[in-house]
Amino acid sequence: MNKATSSTISWIAQIGAVVIMGQSLFFKFTAHPESVAIFTDIGMEPNGRILIGVVELIACLLLLRPASAHYGALLGACTMGGAIVGHFTQIGWTGERGQLGLLAVLVFVFCAVILYIRRMDLPFIKVALDESKRRPARED
Amino acid sequence: MIGKISIDLHKVSKTVNLAIPTLAILFFLAGWKLSYYFHFGTIAFALLTLINFFYMRVQTGHALLRNFGLMGQARYMMESIGPELRQYFFANDTEEKPFNRTERSEVYRKAKGVDSATSFGSQHEFDAREVKVRHSMYPILKDQQIPYSLTFGSERGIENTYTIDKPFIISAMSYGALGEKAVRSLARGAKKAGIPMNTGEGGYPKYHLDEGCDLIFQMGTAKFGVRNDDGTLNDAKLSELVNKDSIKMIEIKLSQGAKPGKGGLLPKEKITDEIAELRGVPKGKDVISPPFHPECVGAQNTVQFIAHVQQVSGLPVGIKLCVGRPAQLEELIVEMVAQNTFPDWISVDGSEGGTGAAPKAFIDSVGMPLYPALKTVNDLLSKHGARDKLKLLAAGKLVSPERQMVAFCLGADAVYSARGFMLALGCIQALQCGNNTCPVGITTHDPELQRGIDIDVKSDRVSNYVHNLQHDLEELLSAAGCRSVQELSFDHLYIPSESTLAPYVTR
Repeated sequence: MNKATSSTISWIAQIGAVVIMGQSLFFKFTAHPESVAIFTDIGMEPNGRILIGVVELIACLLLLRPASAHYGALLGACTMGGAIVGHFTQIGWTGERGQLGLLAVLVFVFCAVILYIRRMDLPFIKVALDESKRRPARED
Repeated sequence: MIGKISIDLHKVSKTVNLAIPTLAILFFLAGWKLSYYFHFGTIAFALLTLINFFYMRVQTGHALLRNFGLMGQARYMMESIGPELRQYFFANDTEEKPFNRTERSEVYRKAKGVDSATSFGSQHEFDAREVKVRHSMYPILKDQQIPYSLTFGSERGIENTYTIDKPFIISAMSYGALGEKAVRSLARGAKKAGIPMNTGEGGYPKYHLDEGCDLIFQMGTAKFGVRNDDGTLNDAKLSELVNKDSIKMIEIKLSQGAKPGKGGLLPKEKITDEIAELRGVPKGKDVISPPFHPECVGAQNTVQFIAHVQQVSGLPVGIKLCVGRPAQLEELIVEMVAQNTFPDWISVDGSEGGTGAAPKAFIDSVGMPLYPALKTVNDLLSKHGARDKLKLLAAGKLVSPERQMVAFCLGADAVYSARGFMLALGCIQALQCGNNTCPVGITTHDPELQRGIDIDVKSDRVSNYVHNLQHDLEELLSAAGCRSVQELSFDHLYIPSESTLAPYVTR
């Protein structure tokens, strides 16, 4: 995969993640009944709903800047990880909640793709990955 | 060993590596059964578990991380802040290299115009290898001194001679090595102080010229700014350049203290579009100049090349070199005498020179240090009757009046300093000159880092530094009972047997 292709794929995933997370913010911040119901079920209403909304908003903003996209993806993946855990434990997958859960999985996958493509930007990971610095032993 | 408390790092890391996934599970259970907020912990520890798995099972480059996981990373993190910690807390005032805290503070004080008197004795080790200046029993008053004046080119009787009235010159630092604001600050400071500045081998000296100070154009082995495509000198470009009023002299760089025998090196991190254009080089890879001028492959054609540049430019022309084998240098001097052609000055760069980026092996172990090199050059010139045909400049850690005084005693007519002026600009010796990450914005092109430099303030520091150096030099001269630096000689030095100068002492 060359640089241009991977950059395009990363951007598609970034935009995808931002669009999905972004529209869910609208429901969170306007206290949409379904959103309120979910957060009530997990005992985080209302502070948790606002808190998660703010975290997602930060993730979206970070995702839109190339220099910080990897941090946005990390934050997005962690938030979605928390959501997916919720769907498996308390929220469930029935009806509209199933759709929301699938969207969370989709954003998680997008973020994972971005993290993979931009792995050389990740602190703590890049040091162990720096393939360019690895020189095969000389054999003469 | 019973009863002894010790920390076994192996066990600590094993415990941590077990604790991380365990905590992830416990947080999960708490998040499920107690409060969903615990899932913040679940996610954090799940992430750490993943990173740990990656370190210990996936990556293969670092054995420490494979064996100990995240705890192994602690070593790298601690190590990475080691230089700062040592400089802030642990290194004593005289042990840092290349400049220790006392040397740096002295420059800072001079640059800020703060009194540098100290009390209760010196930090130096007196019975060791340090050279001292011998004072006179009959010091003179400062107003008995002859005002300093040095005219380059007078020996050849050329029209465009150049005279300096302070024995200090800002040594070669190119735009490229330094960022725009640092270059401007130095150039403006040089103008305020009334001293010339060497442009370094960075091609057309755009920002140096902007500030209107007197300039010595340096022609490196790649001849940036005045080259043909094959690396030879383009006479037309040189003539055009020397028409600029600010350009007073030309210096041909044969070799340089930081990397004698190797060409200049500009790391790719520091090559911006503009620098690529000014030098005529591609972006994205290190620019490595050839190790020698194609015109200079022996004593004879080196002297001819000097004569050629003198003739084309019509200006005083000097050469800069770091001494390797004195016999080769002697050959060159003999050739100068034979052709009756002399450069207008020779700059002797000690191997301790260090503004240039260079491979460690070269920085550490190639070339003669300044003091013995300067003494050697001065002696060889005198031996062949050539000392009065040219001027002698010295460079190499000459940031303080003490070292400069020693250089004058060894025969220098004027002294170059690069790092002294960088310190005056506020260099904190972070040792990141080649990475484009200079924290005080001097050796970087990053606009965010350069933001810290206020050109007006910093140029005043440069000017203060020069004036305070001159003040100290005059005081030292008076103490030595000399009316000018030309009256100083090797006999004005006390040289312990441990010094690099000891072999030159006739006992």
